[in-house]
Amino acid sequence: MRTKSVHVEHLTRVEGHGNILFNARDGRIEKVQWQVSEAPRLFESFVRGRHYSEMSHLVSRICGICSIGHVLSSLKATEVAMNIDVSEQTVMLRRMALHGENMQSHILHIGYLVAPDLFRVGSVFPLLESHPDAVRAIVKLHRLANEMSDLVCGRTTHPITLTVGGFTMVPKEKNLSELRQNLINILPVCDAVATTILDAIHMLPDFKRETEYIGLVSDEGYALYDGMIGSTDTGRHPVAEYESVVNEVVVPQSTAKYCNHARESYMVGALARLNLNGGKLMPRAKQWAQRFGLTPIIINSFMNTVAQMVEYFHSVEESISLIDTLLEKGLVREDTTQFKVMAGRGVGAVEVPRGILFHDYTYDREGKCVKANCVIPTNQNHNNIQHDMEAIAPQLLGKSEREIELTLEMLVRAYDPCISCSTHYLRVGFMK
Amino acid sequence: MKKKVAIFDFASCEGCELQIANLEEAIIDVATLVDIVSFREVMKEHDDAYDIALVEGSIMRPMDEKRLKQIRGNAGILVALGACACMGCVQRMVNQWPIEESMAVVYGKDNPQLKENAFYANFQTKALDEVVKVDAYIPGCPINRNEFIRILLALVQGKKPALPDYPVCVECKKKENVCMFESGKFCMGPVTRAGCDAICPTYGSECEACRGYVSHPEEKAHTEVLEKYGLSVEGILARKSMFTYRYQEEKKGVMQ
Amino acid sequence: MSKMKAMSKSDFLQLIDVLIKDESLEVHGVVAKGTKFVFAHLESSSELRLDYDVTILPPKKYFLPQYDSMMLFALTKGIQVEGVQESKKKVIVGIHPYDIIALRQTDTYYFDTHVDDLYLKKRKNALIIGANVTNVSKKAFFGDMNTGYADSGYDLMVTDLGDTMTIDIGSKEGERLLAQYAMTRDATHDEEERVRRIIEEASAKARRTLQVGPGIWHDLLEKNYTNDVWKNQAEKCLSCGTCTIVCPTCFCYDVNDKVSLNMEEANRVRTWDGCLLRDFTRVGSGEIFREKTEDRYRHRFMRKGRYLPDMLGFVACVGCGRCSSQCIPDIADPVGVFNMLSESQGMPLEKSTMTPLSTGGDIAVFQPREPLYIPRPATLIRVEKLTEWEILFEVAMDDAKPLGHDPGQFVELSIAGYGEAPISISSAPGGTTFELAVRRIGDVTSRLHALKPGEKVGIRGPFGKGFPVKDFEGKNILFVGGGIGLIPLRSLILYVLNNREAFGEVSILYGCKRPCEVLFSDDIAAWEKRKDIQFLRSVDRCPEGECWDGEIGVITCLLPKAQFDPENTIAVIVGPPIMYKFVIRDLKNLGMPEENIVVSLERRMKCGVGKCGHCQINGVYVCKEGPVFNYKEIKEQPEAFS
Repeated sequence: MRTKSVHVEHLTRVEGHGNILFNARDGRIEKVQWQVSEAPRLFESFVRGRHYSEMSHLVSRICGICSIGHVLSSLKATEVAMNIDVSEQTVMLRRMALHGENMQSHILHIGYLVAPDLFRVGSVFPLLESHPDAVRAIVKLHRLANEMSDLVCGRTTHPITLTVGGFTMVPKEKNLSELRQNLINILPVCDAVATTILDAIHMLPDFKRETEYIGLVSDEGYALYDGMIGSTDTGRHPVAEYESVVNEVVVPQSTAKYCNHARESYMVGALARLNLNGGKLMPRAKQWAQRFGLTPIIINSFMNTVAQMVEYFHSVEESISLIDTLLEKGLVREDTTQFKVMAGRGVGAVEVPRGILFHDYTYDREGKCVKANCVIPTNQNHNNIQHDMEAIAPQLLGKSEREIELTLEMLVRAYDPCISCSTHYLRVGFMK
Repeated sequence: MKKKVAIFDFASCEGCELQIANLEEAIIDVATLVDIVSFREVMKEHDDAYDIALVEGSIMRPMDEKRLKQIRGNAGILVALGACACMGCVQRMVNQWPIEESMAVVYGKDNPQLKENAFYANFQTKALDEVVKVDAYIPGCPINRNEFIRILLALVQGKKPALPDYPVCVECKKKENVCMFESGKFCMGPVTRAGCDAICPTYGSECEACRGYVSHPEEKAHTEVLEKYGLSVEGILARKSMFTYRYQEEKKGVMQ
Repeated sequence: MSKMKAMSKSDFLQLIDVLIKDESLEVHGVVAKGTKFVFAHLESSSELRLDYDVTILPPKKYFLPQYDSMMLFALTKGIQVEGVQESKKKVIVGIHPYDIIALRQTDTYYFDTHVDDLYLKKRKNALIIGANVTNVSKKAFFGDMNTGYADSGYDLMVTDLGDTMTIDIGSKEGERLLAQYAMTRDATHDEEERVRRIIEEASAKARRTLQVGPGIWHDLLEKNYTNDVWKNQAEKCLSCGTCTIVCPTCFCYDVNDKVSLNMEEANRVRTWDGCLLRDFTRVGSGEIFREKTEDRYRHRFMRKGRYLPDMLGFVACVGCGRCSSQCIPDIADPVGVFNMLSESQGMPLEKSTMTPLSTGGDIAVFQPREPLYIPRPATLIRVEKLTEWEILFEVAMDDAKPLGHDPGQFVELSIAGYGEAPISISSAPGGTTFELAVRRIGDVTSRLHALKPGEKVGIRGPFGKGFPVKDFEGKNILFVGGGIGLIPLRSLILYVLNNREAFGEVSILYGCKRPCEVLFSDDIAAWEKRKDIQFLRSVDRCPEGECWDGEIGVITCLLPKAQFDPENTIAVIVGPPIMYKFVIRDLKNLGMPEENIVVSLERRMKCGVGKCGHCQINGVYVCKEGPVFNYKEIKEQPEAFS
């Protein structure tokens, strides 16, 4: 009797805590499971009764990598709830903030979390010896992304300048100009990194599984900050009706909920965004998408990482364009306090590195939160991960335990899961 | 002989560990200064033999407590990394209610999936030093990278991992920031431990005390100032519970 | 003094732009920051705001920066140290008269006794273009302080008359700058009149309800040390340090070694410190000498109105109003505080002639003799363990010269990358080596304890006032050493024993907590054998396992057993603070006159040369006037034995 058993406790090179289980006996799969073991921090409980001005500061702490995304989604929800308009300048700066976050998160994922698998090493540290130029290039890309976020938000993790109605402080034009030049200068370095990825792409398993892809869509461009909910199966849906798209259930092996919509599961993230909006990429990003073979619809989850590289290009190019517009108009200091606190409900949705994020708040007359719900991208992916694992498992039966372990780990990593986030969906409902 | 360093996380957002990755090129210097033998977020390799453990996150379940005690047993020096580990951070506010109530709010009342499930066995949030002895603290939400380097160097050099014991105002005024109170904001700076270079006031947002108080905060005087500038009693309590709910608990004598 | 000049406003701004374009210069001036003003690097004259009322921080930040690099150590090369390179010559535009007067006060302080070369270099490297006040801030009271007009301390002083600028020339450098870069004409009589009126009007506006002028502050403060005002005000104090940071006449600092991540370099940096901060007077053992907020709060006013005037002859406040407007609980305003003090007391007050104006410290005159802060290399010759906590080090300066110290003095010992600590000298003067007995307490001393013979340290000093050995000659001496107090005392004991005939009867009393803490056992054994001195020792207690054949009890138990004539003996006492209280009480009860008692007091010391401000006992600098003090004199200071 041949048994193959894989138990990965606290998967490495992902954000947060998850376990992989695989048991096969005599050529039959007994169990293949993705478990989320992250400690629930119970955001949904402690935000009860908090003031609207605190909400974004609190939910920022859901995640250290996509805090900008949580904050923006939160601010949008509050602004919709209280009928607060923001200026064009604010929208442009917020889009830049989101680009900075995407760039930072994607490159961290590509270089630090996934690349070691492609070179069969445990971490980026050995790559410092074997591929020093590539590693230094990755660090350059990472640093620039952080510099952009620092400039716009004050700080990448738990941003400071983002506030209801706009910004507490706007960047100096001199510094934006400098950033613009740095973005232009980084493009050749991106090309070099992308070339390295192109050479290694064959290391990714050739996996296929049809599924639904969901993300923001917009006629204005590759949607990250604004848009409607788009699905490759069902077309467009208003953001306010997100609950009809996202169906959540609790499962025992996971402290995070599982989601589905038109099929048994769906996927969000860079690959989903590419599948929905690939035609609206900026030029260089589009070129690279073609070179990588990423013409929609791509149904190999492992290619999510490659899609992230395409998005890095897109973010650089669009940021340059945003800075051009900002500098042309000149930046002004805006008063963000001119609005009336009122009762209301609002839903805000943005794309964060890992996919579409919803925050849904209801406020009372004094601006205190009475109900909150939020749906995290990784939450939405857990079900798809489970189904992908079940689909790939038969193909792995003939391989060694080490190969099985590596492939399953790579599969989960490809999603770039943000597990700490995903256990902290907010569903606060209580009577006042 | 280079010191061996291992990095762990519990209930947290992993933002503090990310700051270590955010050292960019300097991370190569860190990897030269010490041997990083375990860092789950970026490394597959792991070694149970380490001199210094950097631990992020707060403790919320028995399984976490057990794992922390194991780490304490392996490490010569244990460092609490970030506000979650030092004080409990924002999730500490959960301790305002009985834990059963919070679990019900989150997962539904009497949810059968949660029965006898170790993943869901939450108790009241604890900081690290409520479970094991902690040798050094790096506060902040997230940590300040310069402070991280300074403390790490101190531990390697055998120096005391000392933190400033004066308020954020000192660093804020040295940077010539316009005081947050003058901008109509209610700042916790006067009672909060410096070391962050007053980053939030520098960017126009008031200090929220994520680094915890100085060892002898002038709380009464500060509360008077908040009242004088127009913050309600409710508002003052809300401000003091955001990151520093631990002190509220200690005052009430409520600890698990 | 040359005549007042004038030029059009546009010409003046053009001059500024020309200076900005000059690659050899760095131009700074007053610019807007939101609704406030700050001194900042100028990129164009259009940024200049000479119509400002007051800046958030005073221009002291240019000469004593918030973070000032003092020296760089190359850690891998032993104690190789180099001073910091100078930056480009600075031109600072827009400094108001009261700030110029404050800079002159700072000069006087930083050139007094020891010349601070770091500060001096920065002062010499800057050209000051002052500006007379045209807008007065709400809390300014420089009119009351008579600092609305400066007759010197600048290279050029301009007054904005609208479309004309007048310029007073204050130095040859200023004259040269004008000649080189600008076309000026003589100012008309009318323009001179307008300038005079502008100055007068500003001073008149900058008058608040100050009931007691600066000349009366000294007496008012002296007579009201225990006034309730201090306690009542301090209840609102946040101990946030704002008042000292924004004050143009505050210049205390702390020093730290910052190590680079690759551990190859250390940067010794000094940064602003303030007496309102709780740890300002904390020593290695953890004791804080000004622990109560009200003591710290009072200290600042005493320093401005009494101590600095006594020390240097000027009232150390220029009425800029920065602390008044930036103190959030609004307790820092001198106008408020002095009015409160005067109203709450009914004693008649004397007026002195002192003002904020200072006549010392002419920058042109002072030359730095040598770097004040750079340690000299020394080598550890011998390392001897004394107890579990103390080690004796024999040290030789690398230049082979004797240290040249008096008994009772101290050195500042540096270990690059760890810091600098004050250490009492424990050996008698003479010879090419000296001894330091060091307790392991903090970073520097812990690292020192790990060093071996042959390894290097840095030494500055000797500093401080030692024991007045000349006055002791021919007299009877009673040494009373408690615990580690024996360490500095030993330098005097050895000196006296080496010159035994020069002194009368000699008695040594030594007490410590337990036998295992006894220091210098070899010396003690030798002293016990001597027939020409009396030696008694005690321990507070003798725990099981330790041996002791002397007395058991606190050190005061030895006094009745010692044979000496209290009225004709000098007592030299060194020990922990608590010991002084009881020993001195007992000695006085035995009839010893107070002037016969000499003590050595410990405070927190950083610079060792009377600049950083940490060691003050009220207004007395322990590093300069001590650590050795005559009891009768020092006991007048309330903080000496609290």
